[in-house]
Amino acid sequence: MRTLALLFVLLGLPLVAANAQEADAPEGAVIDAVEISGFSLYSLSPGLQKDINSLVGSPLNREGLNQLASRIEQEQPEVVAAVRGVSRPDGKARVIFLVARISDDTDLTENINARYIVETVDVEGPYNEISQQLRDDLQKLVGRRLDTDEAERLQERLEKELPGRDVARRISKGSQTGRIRVVFEIFEEPWIRFAPTRSKLVYHSQQGWSGVLDIPMSSSRSRHRFTAGVAFNDIDELIEEYSGFRLAFESRVIGTEKLGARLEFSRYNQTWEDATLTALASNPGIPELYRNRLTFEPTATFAFNPRVRINGGISISELESLSNSPNSQMANAWLFGISGDHLWQGSNDVRQRAEASYQIRAAVKGLDSDLVYKRHLGQARYQFEQGRSEAIASLSLGYITGDAPLFERFSLGNSTTLRGWDKYDISPLGGERMFHSSVEYRYSHVAVFFDTGSVWDRNTESKIRYSTGFGIHSDNSFLTVGFPLNSDGADVTFMAGVRF
Amino acid sequence: MSAAISRSAGWQSLLPLVVIAVVAVPLAAQSVTVRTVANALHVQARGFSFIEGPVLTRLKEGRSVRIDFELTVLTKPDGPSTKQAAQGFTLSFDLWEERFAVSRIGSPPRSISHLRPRDAENWCLENLTVPVSSLGFGRDTPFWIRLAYRVHDVAPEVNQAPDERYTLRGLIDRLSRRREEADLAKSVDAGPFRLP
Repeated sequence: MRTLALLFVLLGLPLVAANAQEADAPEGAVIDAVEISGFSLYSLSPGLQKDINSLVGSPLNREGLNQLASRIEQEQPEVVAAVRGVSRPDGKARVIFLVARISDDTDLTENINARYIVETVDVEGPYNEISQQLRDDLQKLVGRRLDTDEAERLQERLEKELPGRDVARRISKGSQTGRIRVVFEIFEEPWIRFAPTRSKLVYHSQQGWSGVLDIPMSSSRSRHRFTAGVAFNDIDELIEEYSGFRLAFESRVIGTEKLGARLEFSRYNQTWEDATLTALASNPGIPELYRNRLTFEPTATFAFNPRVRINGGISISELESLSNSPNSQMANAWLFGISGDHLWQGSNDVRQRAEASYQIRAAVKGLDSDLVYKRHLGQARYQFEQGRSEAIASLSLGYITGDAPLFERFSLGNSTTLRGWDKYDISPLGGERMFHSSVEYRYSHVAVFFDTGSVWDRNTESKIRYSTGFGIHSDNSFLTVGFPLNSDGADVTFMAGVRF
Repeated sequence: MSAAISRSAGWQSLLPLVVIAVVAVPLAAQSVTVRTVANALHVQARGFSFIEGPVLTRLKEGRSVRIDFELTVLTKPDGPSTKQAAQGFTLSFDLWEERFAVSRIGSPPRSISHLRPRDAENWCLENLTVPVSSLGFGRDTPFWIRLAYRVHDVAPEVNQAPDERYTLRGLIDRLSRRREEADLAKSVDAGPFRLP
């Protein structure tokens, strides 16, 4: 390994300061000695031995020396060879062949091009959106042997700074022999994105465990994706507790990158909390409970540009009655939604991201729906990042008219909303009206938050609830302690989980 | 008319030969042979090419490609395996020498460069062996060979970010890649053979 390091230091010497005694010999200097280090001359063919020995007394010719080094490698393919002519005080030249085994160097075994010096590092894509720090670090690869591990780490940093975009790396020849160009390719964000996976493992000290596993099957730059998902038990998302499976097929390019489609089929079995059962008994106007929910949902998405999209389709749900099985009710709705997002990458590592969406689900008799209702949901989120600091603000507003089934009704008080409250204490049947806002500040993943929200029905009064808390939060995991602020009791809620 | 029938019959008699030729050419192109060197059973598979298509494209873009091989010895076609050997290799393409380099993963490491595509493929197979003594049968016993490889789209796992190697996200990423990898896998069955 030392020999190899020396070999590449030698190769790289023109790029670093060398003392006078080890300066490169000029072209044409008479060679008075030839050395081979790390390898026996007698392992080479007689012809090559003779050609190397005959260098003594001849004028130095770098091209010829490189050809001899290349012949050593061709005869001994388990080694790499480098050659240098060093100037002597008397003006003559000493030629040194340094030879080392490839298997002695992990970078070379990973990629043989790691023997070459990086001449340039280029970024193909939105260079201006990369932070100055990362740009500087990319350029640090230049002038050194290719460090594949470091290049891998830089690629990961690019992916992190440019969420939603794909980054690939390739190497090509440089302008001089033995030099290479490293190119990081950033592929533009697709106009239509695949739906985020719902995989999670979440614990809520008052509601218990929720586990969902989605397995998306596609390559990173694929136009289509198939997802198979299993909900082992999910009590976190809706007022119902459900388990089952879903299958989804998505295409984000149908003829044009502006048009996409999605088909989803799901079947979930429901269980109900005692609080919900008790509350329903005194609210006969709310549609009945169901034991199975079977849904088929085809939708299409049109993108005006990479940031603004509209989608529409149908959701057909059959709800098998809990008390009168196998009777069922249909909840068939038109869907329409619009969403937009934007990322600003400023100087000094400042990143801002804003997202907003509105969706309406209109169940009508025309679709053979037994339940007729309209559900409006508007959401907005803003995120600011600078260095280790991160601030997040979000707002959600919901409004339902008609007789919406329980899976459509809004609820607050889980691991993402009114953290610290239990949704079965707030509204065990959910509600037809909802608003929720949250502000959160994180420093190095240590987070504090303040949530505000209310969920109520059209004929009841709204009660605004507050909660606060702290925890360790990252983009996909959290460990949170939440406190309800205007509660009669003072229960502390502990939440932890990963979303991936 | 009779001449026409005669010509037609002639073509019909040639048809099976054409079919045999069409079927046999690819089979012959993937002929598998075995040999023993000392205590090691080697396999040679002419036409079992893997440095082509997307693999070749990736290599020529300076990326490295990992390929895992499995050599299985079977006592009958599709029967139970008697012995299995697995070996991974990392391939790269020397941009300046315009030759391929291969490294055997594991211990002891072995690497070689300056290879043409077919030589690189042969070198991988040369380094995939099954000990003859472990087979548990004699020279008169027929056996079959299953040779399979799978190309990984990514750099070897040792280069994955340490914090992502064992996470659920990593698991999903690996599962997500499965279909693409399936497009880059091949296997061939051959036999019967007898120990030389």
